[in-house]
Amino acid sequence: MSIPLDSSGPSVNDFGCQTECTWCDGCGDYGIMAAAKRALVELGLAPHEVLLCFDIGCHGNMSDKMLGYRVHGLHGRVLPFATGAKLANPNMPVMAFGGDGASFSEGVNHLVHSVRSHYPITFILHNNANFGLTTGQASSLTWQNQPMNTSPNGIPEDTIRPMEFVFSLQPTFVARTWSGDIPQMTRVFKAALQHRGFAFVDVLQACPTYNKFTSHEWLLEHCYDANAEGHSPKDLEAGKKLACDTSAKVACGILYQTEDIPHFYERLIPRQNIKTTPVEEVAITDVSDLLKEFV
Amino acid sequence: MHRVSLKVTGAQGQGINSVGEMVAKGLKRSGHHVFGYREYNSVIKGGHSSYQLDIADSHIESSETTVNILVCLNYEGLKRDLSTLKEGGILLHLIPSWKFSKDDEQLFEDRKITVLYFPMEKILKKYNARPIVGNVLVTSVVWGLLGRDHHNLKEMVKEQFAHKGEKILDMNYSFIDEGRQFKDEEAAENELELPAVDSKRKDDLLVTGSEAMGMGMIHAGCRLYAGYPMTPASPLLKYIAEKQNETHMVVKQAEDEITAIQMVSGAMHMGTRAATATSGGGYDLMSETLSLNGIIENPSVMVLAMRQGPSTGLPTWSGQGDMLLTIFGSHGEYPRMVMAVSNAEDCFTLMPDAFNYAEKYQLPVTILTDKHIAEGLYMQQQYDLKKATIERGIVTDQKELDALTSADRYNPHAVGGVSPRWLPGAKAATYCAQGDEHDAEGNVDETGENATQQMDKRMKKMETLKAELPEPVLYGDQNPETLIVSWGSNKSAILDVMKDQKGVGYLHYTYLWPLHTKKFEELSLKAKRTILVESTYQGQLDMLFKQECGKGCNEQILKYDGRPFFCDELLSKLSL
Repeated sequence: MSIPLDSSGPSVNDFGCQTECTWCDGCGDYGIMAAAKRALVELGLAPHEVLLCFDIGCHGNMSDKMLGYRVHGLHGRVLPFATGAKLANPNMPVMAFGGDGASFSEGVNHLVHSVRSHYPITFILHNNANFGLTTGQASSLTWQNQPMNTSPNGIPEDTIRPMEFVFSLQPTFVARTWSGDIPQMTRVFKAALQHRGFAFVDVLQACPTYNKFTSHEWLLEHCYDANAEGHSPKDLEAGKKLACDTSAKVACGILYQTEDIPHFYERLIPRQNIKTTPVEEVAITDVSDLLKEFV
Repeated sequence: MHRVSLKVTGAQGQGINSVGEMVAKGLKRSGHHVFGYREYNSVIKGGHSSYQLDIADSHIESSETTVNILVCLNYEGLKRDLSTLKEGGILLHLIPSWKFSKDDEQLFEDRKITVLYFPMEKILKKYNARPIVGNVLVTSVVWGLLGRDHHNLKEMVKEQFAHKGEKILDMNYSFIDEGRQFKDEEAAENELELPAVDSKRKDDLLVTGSEAMGMGMIHAGCRLYAGYPMTPASPLLKYIAEKQNETHMVVKQAEDEITAIQMVSGAMHMGTRAATATSGGGYDLMSETLSLNGIIENPSVMVLAMRQGPSTGLPTWSGQGDMLLTIFGSHGEYPRMVMAVSNAEDCFTLMPDAFNYAEKYQLPVTILTDKHIAEGLYMQQQYDLKKATIERGIVTDQKELDALTSADRYNPHAVGGVSPRWLPGAKAATYCAQGDEHDAEGNVDETGENATQQMDKRMKKMETLKAELPEPVLYGDQNPETLIVSWGSNKSAILDVMKDQKGVGYLHYTYLWPLHTKKFEELSLKAKRTILVESTYQGQLDMLFKQECGKGCNEQILKYDGRPFFCDELLSKLSL
């Protein structure tokens, strides 16, 4: 990890605020927030130069624990809100944060369409495999045979495999990291922010209060940096295989990335060669040409 | 007022709209006043649909229940619509050897109706042409029955088909000659006397409410549109999408209504102007997001194009039953504005206002329209393109931005409840657009004191907004004995009916929430009769009046069959 020595740029402190954190001791959100701030700072972004959009859940309480232009919206809906914002001003980096409940239960449709539409935003999945803020109900990513609040016998459904799911949608950026490794998260978040299209980052997140099956210790034991061990993110099939096979070890890092696919905004024919943004274009507009066909 | 009408009926997919639209355009260009009204079922092919054109010597925006000329492209119309023919009317149909019942024959005799069978199939066969191109044949016969010069029709056909090549154009010219020949040989005496011409209106637009609204939004500086198809909001999406290469707008057909309104909200939050439209069911899905926009004080503009009934109801028909939904729907209490357009004039001119109110007061604005407006074909005087202003209420000056603190964003002491809004990306203190109850900076604050203060701040905007909104407009007699009260598309039929009446006033509501009642109270006190005209079961505006001022109308004319108020029907119900 490189800490910039040039003191003229933004610093992590610039993103700090006085609001008291309300997460449990040992919550993975502390690490994710630290990495998010570092990634932004290392990319030279000041708080006013980024839009951070949060879903509802424990992670959403980050919305007033750091600075930056922030939105704390509705449960399951962070992706379309963030997308609308990005399309209005494509020059602005937009990060969306959502939990596994919001992204694989309530708003799973938005995830599907965000991947297939190649919206140029970064999505950080806070994956603690349960509904934490509502006191530990099973999500669709909760393992089977885990007694949870409202499912004392474990879930009768099958568990969604998020990597198989996302890879089936022809993604252009898939990464996995975990909440105990701030340097790795920082590296991955930076790459995601710099990615051309939709960047999907699955952050395996410790939830010491409700997730007893993938604890911080379990993650520490199982996660490894696949890029450091030579995995090249260029190969889709290799990335997918590595991502989906978590039987022995959990591969982390950038698992797959291609910059060759145009993103949504680039595909919009009416926006070709237009230098201004929709935000800049708001004005009373002459429609006399449009009126002609009706005479 | 002298008015006549003609109706073309047939199955969907038979091209009845193109007959109606072509005749409308031709008549308008000759200086006639026209209004076009469509009925159709929720199917692609088949069903029973119609296109009615009413023609008058002065401006009209309504239809009659009866017609002078009925054109039936298939037998459904012969079974269902004969009784709508007026005395001395003309029936033109395409069904070979159709046997009319005894009752039908009696009706023809009683009303002196001329029945014409037009052998379209035979003519099409002669030209080896597909049935769909027969529209021009039918149009040509109708053109003759209206006593029009076929030369004009050829000019219009040229406009429409010239790009398809000479062969197709020539075929259509031949069709026009065939139609004229039929008219001259079989119906030489049958010509409808048209109302007098008004040469001043030749250059009017002929436009549907949806097209007018699309242009109005573009005029207002709307740069992003997201929508999910739902009748009768789809024509607006279609129009805006079709024009995207000219307007360079970002147009997104979203995966559902929630996505559409979320994208619009994100785009408005970032600082562009964005809009979406849907019908009742889609609005239900969007309502949670409206509540979010209420608390984060995010401007948004959405259109609810109403149809009749709960659930899927009558999906291709009109109604006004969703008005109270827009005022009371969605959870929590938050400031909002509801306005209703009534015709193609409103659809254009009120769009900049809708965006201005949304942005100035930082709240969701719902624009109510209905199927009747969305698909009605209006003659519209050229819009004044110099009138609209833009008011955004955004802090953009760098000096002012430098002076802002995060706590200015939701400052509970802001004058009129309207606190400064600045856009993400501005070099200034940042804030959180916080969907939880929050303090002035947008930090979560669950204390009772703060919750009260912030609610007071937000709701205060309703008073500020109400003070700026105009009172409803009184048409007709300014001291009326009979006061009609209504909103939305009913205005058209009401004004058409009132043209020949004395002592009648019409109080028209454009702004439904917040609601002004002063003028209503004053006028209803003096009037002998105060009549609510509304396309609902419950008389919703009356419910609002009673809630807001304790007084209501003493009569109600309500309708909830999916059909608009027809002018003759309304006149008889009003029993003036």
